[in-house]
Amino acid sequence: MTTVAASPPTTDGPRVSEEDRVRAARRRDRIRTIFWRLAGYAFFLGLWEFASGRLMDETLLPGPVDVFRTFGDLWASGKVPGAFADTLTRIGIGFAIAFVIGAAVGILMQNRWLSGFFRDAVTIGVTTPGLIWALITAIIFGNRPWGPLIAIVLTTFALISVNVAEGIKALPKDLIDMAKAFGVGVVRRNRQIVVPHLAPYLFTGVRFGFSIAWKVTVLTEVFASSSGIGFEMRTATQLFRMDEFLTWILAFYVFALFLEKVVLEVIERRFFAWRDTIKS
Amino acid sequence: MTALAHDTRPRRKRSNPALRALKSPLSGRIAFPLVCLAVWLVAIEIVTAVWPFAVDVLPRPSQVFSFMWDELTGDTLAPYNLYETFGISLKRLGIGMAIAMGIGTVIGLAMGLSKSVNAFFNDWVVAILAMPNLAWALFCSLAFGFGDVGPIVTVVLTGIPFVIINVREGVRNAPTDLYDMARAFGVSRSDSIRHVLLPSLMPFMFAAGRYAFALGWKGLVVAEVFGGEDGAGWTIKFWYDAHRAHGVIGYALFFVLFALLFEKFLLDRLSAYFFRWRPAVSSTDVVEELFEGPPSAATTASAVSDTTTAAQRSLTQVTAGPRSEREGGDDTRRTHDG
Repeated sequence: MTTVAASPPTTDGPRVSEEDRVRAARRRDRIRTIFWRLAGYAFFLGLWEFASGRLMDETLLPGPVDVFRTFGDLWASGKVPGAFADTLTRIGIGFAIAFVIGAAVGILMQNRWLSGFFRDAVTIGVTTPGLIWALITAIIFGNRPWGPLIAIVLTTFALISVNVAEGIKALPKDLIDMAKAFGVGVVRRNRQIVVPHLAPYLFTGVRFGFSIAWKVTVLTEVFASSSGIGFEMRTATQLFRMDEFLTWILAFYVFALFLEKVVLEVIERRFFAWRDTIKS
Repeated sequence: MTALAHDTRPRRKRSNPALRALKSPLSGRIAFPLVCLAVWLVAIEIVTAVWPFAVDVLPRPSQVFSFMWDELTGDTLAPYNLYETFGISLKRLGIGMAIAMGIGTVIGLAMGLSKSVNAFFNDWVVAILAMPNLAWALFCSLAFGFGDVGPIVTVVLTGIPFVIINVREGVRNAPTDLYDMARAFGVSRSDSIRHVLLPSLMPFMFAAGRYAFALGWKGLVVAEVFGGEDGAGWTIKFWYDAHRAHGVIGYALFFVLFALLFEKFLLDRLSAYFFRWRPAVSSTDVVEELFEGPPSAATTASAVSDTTTAAQRSLTQVTAGPRSEREGGDDTRRTHDG
């Protein structure tokens, strides 16, 4: 860095070093960022509250205060844990199956003929709206439990396949060949080279796949379930109880966001700390 | 070396061309729908024989295809025929996309240029990004009733966060050094912006458009299901309410065809046209959501199915020459989904 005196000689006041100035500038930056961030919250929440009372009917768009109050009521009535548990179970099972199938397809796609075979399946899987699968399984399976599960699998498997396929294609062949040449056993080779290389891809697939899976689950529940978040949302909409509707979706949304951002990101940071994250 | 009576050089066996064609990936691609059809027929037989009550209605392929043919020729029981339906939906999608791109670009530019604005909006962009489009659809259908407004607002809300993020990344990746150099050489300000900054922004804008299209379409369909009286989503709900499984599946296949046609062909052509000034890279670039930081495969696959990386490519090409000159290029990696 600079070795020259930071400021021209002044006749008054102590000399301020370069480091102090940088530190002060950084602190100012941080404070400014925090200030604007809080200002954003205040602005948007205020806008919401304002829109609820004045711009739109209160019954149509309940404000944040109403939503919190309704959430308290719902929690007290005990409906929340049951609905959450139902939905989360469905997501868990559906996503697990989707992951297995997706990984299998991804591995199979290393073969040229099979990659041609599965190519359209993956394209369709990625581009079809989850709603379509929800409607098809709803009309075929009605209220039976495997309808939503099939819809979740169909919506999510393609994303995981793509990630797994990309991961396998990018395996460091030279490292593996070197390990083979040095006589390293298959198990140890896989543990030390293949798995750590694939792990970020798998993890990304899990993160994005989970994000899609929970949305599709709620959607299928709207059409074809008698329990769970989606069902509660549909009931609230039909009874035109917008505050309950907003409460359900926001509660679940906050929870899912918490899972995605906090839990998964923490796991990612801890397990991939050994990696220099090149955030592209 | 003693001469041998016969030629012992290893000879390459000429493979049967028919067998070679059968082993090619193209034949795999053709085999897929055939296998699906076979599985469908077998499933019907098994289900009707073993568990007659396990499914409510499992349509036969012939029913679905004759339904689709009727729709294609304009003979339908629904109030609007296939072409009108998709036309209405596309019109709404177009309007919504235009609004989303307009507002999103402005906000994205502001967020890219100023850290304060970024801090102001960032959490809310993330929040809207993660919100399921079902929620927007239900809310808009209740708030705006029937008609065009609800679906259009849903398209705007689903598409805007992606547009904002992509434009912001475009601004952050602008080649300021090239711009400075151009100005230093005396190029006028407007020319510098037009020839240096705008082309660098184009891949991001294009990615934003693709995201807006793909996600907007999904949001539009959901919105039309819950709060429309015409359009593609409403029509599939129509067949669902009429309990006609062949109608639902037939229309779903139309959706798939529509997505394949539009997203693959039209947008690929468009991007080839917009980026014809670029020497090597093949077009469909999609920008990663950098604040998530995953490998490119994930985010690209989440919206469209291409796996080429971000517009950094375009910029490095402008500054450092085509990829094939700089390194071996990993174009061979991308062959499976070109």
